[in-house]
Amino acid sequence: MSHSAAYDRGLANMTDADSITPLTSGAEATAVPQNTADSRQDAARRWIAEHGDILWKFALARTRSKETAEEIVQETVLAAMQAYGRFAGESSERTWLLGIAAHKIADHFRRVRRAKSPGSPAISPDATCVCATCRGMFTQKGMWACIAGKWADFNQSEAEKREQTAALRACIDALPPGQSEAVWLRDILGIPAGEVCKGMGLTDTNLWSRMHRARVALRSCLETKFGLRKEKGR
Amino acid sequence: MIRFLRDMMRVLRLPCREHVVLFSRQIDAPLSRGEAFGLRVHIVYCRGCRRFREHLQHMQSLGRTLSEQTANEPGLPADVRERLNVRIARAAKKN
Repeated sequence: MSHSAAYDRGLANMTDADSITPLTSGAEATAVPQNTADSRQDAARRWIAEHGDILWKFALARTRSKETAEEIVQETVLAAMQAYGRFAGESSERTWLLGIAAHKIADHFRRVRRAKSPGSPAISPDATCVCATCRGMFTQKGMWACIAGKWADFNQSEAEKREQTAALRACIDALPPGQSEAVWLRDILGIPAGEVCKGMGLTDTNLWSRMHRARVALRSCLETKFGLRKEKGR
Repeated sequence: MIRFLRDMMRVLRLPCREHVVLFSRQIDAPLSRGEAFGLRVHIVYCRGCRRFREHLQHMQSLGRTLSEQTANEPGLPADVRERLNVRIARAAKKN
């Protein structure tokens, strides 16, 4: 199954509207959009109509507050209006907007965390070993310090599935700002890595290392914080 | 062929700390054929890396399940949509 089924569906919905606007026709960089107040407003209305749902779901899933999600979507569209004309069509319009939203969400959490508890990260960025008796995943030589147990198959029951997806959500929330958003775009919405890079303004290597750090942290979070039930015989 | 063997041998000589980085990279960008094969050979005998890869795959498919769940959630509410359009019109006039 395609990883990005949901994203592809979204793209499929976009194609009709794309054909009537020069903005998203990517390769044709010569077609510079008219940058008047009216054209900016038309574009912003179209963004709300076409991408409002996915921006809203992204913001709501991350912030879990309707008021904050509304603010984020609004800030995103207003920022996109400001940058209108600078969108080079390197990524799809949807990814571009999601990238802006990702920055807005990360900023929001930086503000909130600074206000709440200055200087204390939610979970340690260092990969702690997933077994209780040892520290760090690796020995000094870079070999495994301990081997984690198997995780229970979440397709066993609906209850198990609900529990595990809730745990994943909570662990994504606990990642440092910037990482959570990258994980959400890449591993949840399934947006191709190249698109995420363009949307968030990261280089390939930036994104790879950010994703790696996030995945290692997620793994130890799932293992230690929520203790996914083990299958027999590890 | 030479490149294939060179990449494979390089990967096989790496410590597990580096293998873990490659497993994650593989999700985002294809490795060379030699590198990918080296990893496949390595997990035949390395239980720690095999388990790590299982966990990555588990999290990937859990992510897809979460994605399906959020796809079914309601989208932008009508009242928010309306408010946003009003604010957009106001912002467009200002600029």
